[in-house]
Amino acid sequence: MTAAAPARTSRPVKPRRSMAIPIGLAVFVVITWLALSEQFGIGFDLVALIEDIARGRGILAELLSPNWSFVPRTAEPMIETVQIAILGAVIGCSIALPVSFLASRVTARNRGVLGVTRTVLSVVRAIPDILWALLFVAAVGIGVLPGILALVFFNIGVVVKLLSETIDGVDSGPIEAARASGANGFQSVRWAVLPQVLPNYVAYSLYAFELNIRASTVLGVVGAGGIGNMLFTQYRFFNWSNVSVIVIELFVLVILIELVSIQLRRRLV
Amino acid sequence: MIRFENASVVYPGGVHALKNLTLEIPDGQMMVIVGLSGAGKSTMIRAINGLVRLTEGEVTIDGQSVSKASGRQLREIRSRIGMIFQTFNLVNRTTVLNNVLMGRFHNTSTLRSLMGWYRPEDVEIAMQALERVDIVEKAYTRASNLSGGQQQRVGIARALAQEPKILLADEPVASLDPPTSHVVMRDLQHINRELGITTIVNLHFLDLAKRYGERIIGLRAGELVYDGTADQADENVFRDIYGRSLTADDILEAAIA
Repeated sequence: MTAAAPARTSRPVKPRRSMAIPIGLAVFVVITWLALSEQFGIGFDLVALIEDIARGRGILAELLSPNWSFVPRTAEPMIETVQIAILGAVIGCSIALPVSFLASRVTARNRGVLGVTRTVLSVVRAIPDILWALLFVAAVGIGVLPGILALVFFNIGVVVKLLSETIDGVDSGPIEAARASGANGFQSVRWAVLPQVLPNYVAYSLYAFELNIRASTVLGVVGAGGIGNMLFTQYRFFNWSNVSVIVIELFVLVILIELVSIQLRRRLV
Repeated sequence: MIRFENASVVYPGGVHALKNLTLEIPDGQMMVIVGLSGAGKSTMIRAINGLVRLTEGEVTIDGQSVSKASGRQLREIRSRIGMIFQTFNLVNRTTVLNNVLMGRFHNTSTLRSLMGWYRPEDVEIAMQALERVDIVEKAYTRASNLSGGQQQRVGIARALAQEPKILLADEPVASLDPPTSHVVMRDLQHINRELGITTIVNLHFLDLAKRYGERIIGLRAGELVYDGTADQADENVFRDIYGRSLTADDILEAAIA
């Protein structure tokens, strides 16, 4: 090499390491220690697990021998649960689609609209499914209607959150192309954004449906219809082999939905 | 005619992308803008359809101000200006035809566009645009299944479907290989000559600029440093525009065509 080495310039100063991680870890350790302590603790004790483990043996035995003759009696509330879940998901996800565009930075150009939508949705999401069910049972009485309404709001919260974040990450190129061709906002959203997020939307909607089937157990407890009511009754009477049947049925249902959604997604993407 | 009058753009970060540009582009001209990246080529092209707003000065098209237009008026101006992009900017998950039909938005009501009920005459215009770039047989193929060159031709068809008076092309061949680049540049040349559409192209390859440009302008750091015919633009001119000696990277093919 004949070329001279370039003149040495000053080196950049190494930025100081952030203290966030060590501080966070310390806080975590302190909280864990407090939780286990005598005064402030939550009474967590592994001894109970070992001492009382035998007590559950009878229950476990009954759970492991499901009472199959109980199956016909579960048919009607089970179908009701599926209907509540489907209606809740269809209505909730239909509302969630347009709302998602108002909750994404990419498609809601008005900062005010964006802020209001996001705030309202934070509140919707902060309320758990069982609380929605309680609210609607109080408002419209016992039955399937409060169950459906509860799931509608629950699904709007979940799907808008997931979908609006997906919209935040779309390729902005097609949106620029649409704007350059003189498209209005609706046209741009429909043809430059929606095709990009449609497979995600379908996946999120199926996920919402699956969540609804699971939520049916708590809906029943507060009188909002479906299999949960029966599950709760059987549990109260300690009919563990009947409880077992319902749990197995729910398990199979969730697995079936999962299989169907995998197939659907494969075809869509 | 497009007119820039003392046009300046300062981006929020303080970057002065366009400095006091005054320029006229007559109807039907094929004009190439050359310059290094960051010289203001993209800014200048986007000022014509208002994707970038001027901070000072004015851009007018046939006497109508782009810089002062907004809302419906701006969309109306944009509908008469087609644009093609370096990265094609197609919607990959839908068909070629749906992409090209985006060029018919200005002629389609919001309800019709939401439902996808395009009028048969609009579909026919889209098909003719695809025919012009020789790719009509791919109309119902998903855009993601096309090669880069094919995607850029769909991008041209989308712009043509607007039946524009002006065509803007922002580095249209920067993502393509040399033979495909020539196909795309020839398409643009034919469109300019046969349809009489004013065509403004950003390029950074000197040989392509000289070969396809009728007029060449050079930008350096947001300022107009050259304005002349392609014949007059020799190596010294480019050296001046680039502010440095030329390298092999500035030329698409080994030798200047």
